[in-house]
Amino acid sequence: MIFNSLAFLVFVAIFIPLYFALKGRARLLLALVGSYLFYGWWDWRFLSLIAMSTLVDYWVGAAIYKENDEKRRQRLLLLSMVVNLGFLGFFKYFDFFISSFVELLQSFGLQPSVSTLGIILPVGISFYTFQSMSYTIDIYRRKLEPEHDLVKFATFVAFWPQLVAGPIVRASDFLPQFRSDHPFEWDRFTKGSAQVLWGFFKKVAIADSLAPIVDQCFADPSSFGSVNLYIAVIFYSFQIYCDFSGYSDIAIGFARILGFDFPANFRTPYFSGNFSEFWTRWHISLSSWLRDYLYIPLGGNRHGTAKTYRNLMLTMLLGGLWHGANWTFVFWGWLHGMYLVVQRLFSNVWTSVMHTLKAPRWANAGLSILLVYLFTNLAWVFFRSPDFSTAAAVLQKMAGLEGFTVAQIMNKFLVAKGVLLIAFLLLVEISDFRFNYSSLVVRQPVFRLASFAILLWMIAFFGTFNSNAFIYFQF
Amino acid sequence: MSSGVKRILWVFAFALFTFTGDRIGGEVLSSIVSESQFRFSRLYRGEAGCDLLFMGNSRGLIFYQPYIEEKTGLETCNLSYNAMPMSLARVLLSDYLDINPAPRKLIIDISMLDTRMDENLSTGFNCYTPYSARLRNFLKARFPKAWYGGRVSHLFRYNNEVFQRALFYWKNSDKDWLLDRVITPTLREKVKEEAPFLFTYTDEMLADLKAVVDFYEEKGVEVVLVVNPYFPPFAKKIANLDELIAATQAATGLIVHNYADSIAGTEGFGDYQHLNKVGSRQYLDLLIRDGILPVSASFGFSEGR
Repeated sequence: MIFNSLAFLVFVAIFIPLYFALKGRARLLLALVGSYLFYGWWDWRFLSLIAMSTLVDYWVGAAIYKENDEKRRQRLLLLSMVVNLGFLGFFKYFDFFISSFVELLQSFGLQPSVSTLGIILPVGISFYTFQSMSYTIDIYRRKLEPEHDLVKFATFVAFWPQLVAGPIVRASDFLPQFRSDHPFEWDRFTKGSAQVLWGFFKKVAIADSLAPIVDQCFADPSSFGSVNLYIAVIFYSFQIYCDFSGYSDIAIGFARILGFDFPANFRTPYFSGNFSEFWTRWHISLSSWLRDYLYIPLGGNRHGTAKTYRNLMLTMLLGGLWHGANWTFVFWGWLHGMYLVVQRLFSNVWTSVMHTLKAPRWANAGLSILLVYLFTNLAWVFFRSPDFSTAAAVLQKMAGLEGFTVAQIMNKFLVAKGVLLIAFLLLVEISDFRFNYSSLVVRQPVFRLASFAILLWMIAFFGTFNSNAFIYFQF
Repeated sequence: MSSGVKRILWVFAFALFTFTGDRIGGEVLSSIVSESQFRFSRLYRGEAGCDLLFMGNSRGLIFYQPYIEEKTGLETCNLSYNAMPMSLARVLLSDYLDINPAPRKLIIDISMLDTRMDENLSTGFNCYTPYSARLRNFLKARFPKAWYGGRVSHLFRYNNEVFQRALFYWKNSDKDWLLDRVITPTLREKVKEEAPFLFTYTDEMLADLKAVVDFYEEKGVEVVLVVNPYFPPFAKKIANLDELIAATQAATGLIVHNYADSIAGTEGFGDYQHLNKVGSRQYLDLLIRDGILPVSASFGFSEGR
């Protein structure tokens, strides 16, 4: 079920009181059953996948821990990898690689009679696979002891607040939190609710209000004047941010209400002054996962400049592919890899130019933020486009400036609403960035409740209530 | 005071504050709607009396009022709205006659008889439910979620584009609402690739139209049905326009005046389905020439309005 649905409201209204009414094992079982119900609501058949992944990693984790022979430990880890990545590869990438292979053969004039299987992608598979894999890898690295309680481990893998779109929580952070029963705490409840409400606002009021403009323009870019494509690209940057960070806020907020602390997944990413900083602010749980389980094992920046660049590119390419089975995602990852490489190559030049120009700090910071935002948007064009021809059409039309007039703007009222909501978001984020507004909300109950009420009014007045799925569910 | 009691008081205060704020906000927005110069606000204020009344979807907006009034000397009211579905048009046109004096002529563009029209647009008229029992019953029956949502939160009633337009036209007239843009060269070229366009109308739509025609004719209003112009290469793509016209004529007993292919060139079009202000003027001249739009001297009834 999705957070912005009636079914979910009913689920939460039953689950949370019941959760706090129970204790110990019964509560744990409720959390597991609730999580499986939450996930099975989409398609109960996919429960078998998550159950299989859980059982394999539970068994492999314990076996690796007991084993002293390094080769056997490696084989066990490989088994976990093969099962997890095998599921992911089959369900997410099989059709993609087959069709790409067929296209490749066709480009050589061959006509292979290979057909795809039309596999349905299980929701959230990329998230729980990575979460579960980090458990066995950490045990293999002797950084973590295995969890002996299967129910606890299964709840860690399937915990409903963050099951389908993260944040990807590490076992070392999450499992210890199961050690005690968390009593109901009013303070946690109100702080968690504030975050849930803020997440809902970002999703149903901002992201879903921007979606129609973006969808229309990317569906058929040639039909619109270029001004609309500029609007659509800017709107998409905020749509995907509000959609995804909104989901994370809801997940983290619900976890907090239930007594668990998850790390932040976003920290005002569009205020980043360089791309390294961007990746410490955007989808933090994935970028830190890729850093710890891919970039650093590849050698990180420890083996010279060329290998550092290779590692960066590989990490970002795989990060792109993780998002979806499409070459546009791979290209998006490649672009971000290039941004990181180019940034490393020219950061000194940039600093000396700014120094020579005696540019004030605010101008330097402002220009850096603007440049990072513009190049991020360029990458978003490929991320959002269903194929390269659409991305090319969007960029071509934008470059040509055909129909760049106010009269050509479609759906002016939707655009005006979108601009207003983005301005509100930026105002809140700037206040938070500069004045730590959120700590005021956390500290002052009056301020917190007033913020609650304002958000509820704004959701009622601006919200889109058609249960649009979250974008990251498809990943 | 124990912390439990304190919390209950906080929750109570919060609920009261939220509820009161919602109601106050709803009242403020309601006053904007009721004072607005937007067509539907005037309709429900009883200030939309006219000689010529128009109805249609976004294509009905090309009944460009300033030009018609200048050319005919008659007063106009255009109730067209983007993606207006026939079911909602029936409610609005019925309310019009209940609240405003009968016009002399009602002109309807029948291209709104299509399932592509946005039935959900009706929920946008939540902001006018305080003024119309008919609209309330319509929403309650067809869109209960929107209706009950509007009962729970008064702010939610104004969560729609219709309210935004009422706000936009709060202090100024909406008569100038028509496209300025000219169809882009890319779009002109793309028309060749367009798939055939099919009207998908239903018996219910035809029945709604028939009910409107009967209701207006009973009140002595002349009803005229037309098909407004399309971009000519696109008009050729419409596969079943004749069938729609025949079905409409059979259902209503009225002749449908077909202007689908009546405007040539490209400068008059904003896109495939919409004339801009330039094209609208050319089209309205045709309607005057054909007597569909009368001039005041020949019509002879506008005096005193």
